[in-house]
Amino acid sequence: MMNVERRSLLKGMALGGIAGVALSSSGLSLANSVLGRHVPAQAASLALVSAEVASSAFVQGLQAGPAAPPLQIMPAALDLMTLQALQQRLGSGQPQRLIGLLDDASAALLIDLARSAGARVQWLGQHSSGAGRTHHRLLSAQTAHGCALQLGQQLHTCGQGFSLHEQRLHTLTPTLQLASARHGQASDQWAATLGYALSVLGSTDTGQAPLVASRPSTLTGTYVSFSIEV
Amino acid sequence: MSQTTANTLLPRGVDASHFEQALTQFRALLGDENVLVKDEQLIPYNKIMMAVDNAGHAPSAAITATSVEQVQGVVKICNQFKIPVWTISTGRNFGYGSAAPGQRGQVILDLKKMNRILHVDPELCTALVEPGVTYQQLYDYIQEHKLPLMLSFSAPSAIAGPLGNTMDRGVGYTPYGEHFLMQCGMEVVLANGDVYRTGMGGVKGDNAWQVFKWGYGPTLDGMFTQANYGICTKMGFWLMPKPPVFKPFEIKFDNESDIAEIVEFIRPLRIAQVIPNSVVIAGVLWEASTCNTKRSDYTSEPGATPDAILKQIQKDKNLGAWNVYAALYGTQEQVDVNWQIVTGALKQLGKGRIVTEEQAGDTQPFKYRAQLMSGVPNLQEFGLYNWRGGGGSMWFAPVSQARGSECDKQQALAKKILNKHGLDYVGEFIVGWRDMHHVIDVLYDRTNPEETQRANACFTELLDVFEQQGYAVYRVNTAFQERVAQSYGPVKRKVEHAIKRALDPNNILAPGKSGIDLNNPF
Repeated sequence: MMNVERRSLLKGMALGGIAGVALSSSGLSLANSVLGRHVPAQAASLALVSAEVASSAFVQGLQAGPAAPPLQIMPAALDLMTLQALQQRLGSGQPQRLIGLLDDASAALLIDLARSAGARVQWLGQHSSGAGRTHHRLLSAQTAHGCALQLGQQLHTCGQGFSLHEQRLHTLTPTLQLASARHGQASDQWAATLGYALSVLGSTDTGQAPLVASRPSTLTGTYVSFSIEV
Repeated sequence: MSQTTANTLLPRGVDASHFEQALTQFRALLGDENVLVKDEQLIPYNKIMMAVDNAGHAPSAAITATSVEQVQGVVKICNQFKIPVWTISTGRNFGYGSAAPGQRGQVILDLKKMNRILHVDPELCTALVEPGVTYQQLYDYIQEHKLPLMLSFSAPSAIAGPLGNTMDRGVGYTPYGEHFLMQCGMEVVLANGDVYRTGMGGVKGDNAWQVFKWGYGPTLDGMFTQANYGICTKMGFWLMPKPPVFKPFEIKFDNESDIAEIVEFIRPLRIAQVIPNSVVIAGVLWEASTCNTKRSDYTSEPGATPDAILKQIQKDKNLGAWNVYAALYGTQEQVDVNWQIVTGALKQLGKGRIVTEEQAGDTQPFKYRAQLMSGVPNLQEFGLYNWRGGGGSMWFAPVSQARGSECDKQQALAKKILNKHGLDYVGEFIVGWRDMHHVIDVLYDRTNPEETQRANACFTELLDVFEQQGYAVYRVNTAFQERVAQSYGPVKRKVEHAIKRALDPNNILAPGKSGIDLNNPF
């Protein structure tokens, strides 16, 4: 069964052919959602990933991005030593951008460290994956403009069912709500797509996430994605 | 409640022009770098765990002050433009509202940069700190100076701070675990800019501010906790002398129905101070989560986790249905005598398996529990957020008598309501001297709107049903502050609002905190 959001999504795809559809109660137009990356974020230098994520297609997606110098990928777990090392890094005064996909507990700590360090957070996503569907709840800044829509478009192209909800700080209502009721085979494509979206966040890149081959096990569960700049 | 323009979120009752003027004055007072208005600067202040929309708790700005004089300047500007300001110290109040403001549009006053340890007295065992000091910072200071002192803190120990935790009447796990009881002397910036010191703090040349709580005349310290009558800029508190011997232990009980007997067994030992610390009685899912167990390891079915799975987890992880953590402190002789009393009482009870530190070794969750009971910071308890995942967490914390029948009743009631809403009972009891803080983490998946709605309904029902039974919570997240204030009756609220009118007539300090807001009809 196709729900209203999916019908709108398909209609948008058919009409525009460029970028899916935005169901925006705040009145942002489709064009505005695609354009307007005013201040590009700097290229990410470090990606923090949970142990399960380290072997997933998320990393493939990250690596397909045009990061220069090459992105360092670091598995991160919830412990005091890791935390202190990150705290030091965030407070080093060295301009840098951290991206990644962590478990909920580690992410709760990291985001709060970022706040205390006075870092800027362009993207904060809560994700869940299971039973052939994924859900994405995003809090994004103006500097990540259009990124959520691009993610939604690529998720739609993947063929898996998904829902995506994007909220901006200054608006009361969601700026973007997309959904597709399809039930596809469990796949890691969403993770590759998300990884790619994060790696190109804030750039003018309009490329596609790499297509991933089917894997023996897929990345399921709940995770938090982020882009943090100091 | 709040207003939005095309691109700007404004505080309640403040127009864009006045807000801009206030920001200009904040910049002049604090410097540009301490006035945050960009969305990417404010997003980290808006990561909430409550089952409500982020938009309801979005700040219009965040400002950071570095001195008492700057805080005085901030309240002056806020009075001039009627700007509501939500103060945080470290802002690590996870599950109670995090760093986000209580109401949409409030300006956050972040005191993280006021982070000086002003004084630690190793002889009198006292400390005086600013709001941004973390427990880890204080722990490092004590270690570095080789001071024979021990801290008491809540579980997010390393990153939380003593001032914020005490002002919110948080608890820890050592003999000094009732933190507000150990507080001694506050400095508070009032809404009119006056700097008020409680206890002996107002006496010129006094040096007893951190050792004698009461001073002269009315003692007002408590009035400033969980309240919005002032901004606490310094707080004194007592530290426990590090004992020569520390003996942590656990007692595992196999059945959920054992709770009443456990409490009856513990209470006399606790009141008589044989066991001097805030004992914890933790349920199986709390324990499992803190030793890195995820729900998805056992089931992918939605809803409450069946009892059969709980039993399986208990078996797999070698846990009790209830796990009691306590410790003995003192000289070897004192500890030996008290150990005999404890083991004798347990023998008389006829159930429960004791685990000592030697037996537990480095295993979790014993290790982190022992660390908490001996003032060593760690982050192990964050594992709770990975049990169900999805970033949803709300503490439901009703108080009860330290009586077996009461705890039994509360646990059964809470589990029934949580399970009805498809959620799990993830709870523990913290044993005060005569009370129990029954702390339940309502964990849910925020990526699932339906589950988020259920969690909100569940929390509402927990408050309602517990209130019908004569119970109330001692603390709550910012989305439910007004509801909980109702539980405590209208007279209390009238008094609180009368004080608010007297001290903060412009309603600038954290309106809504604990349900105190001059927009309310009291």
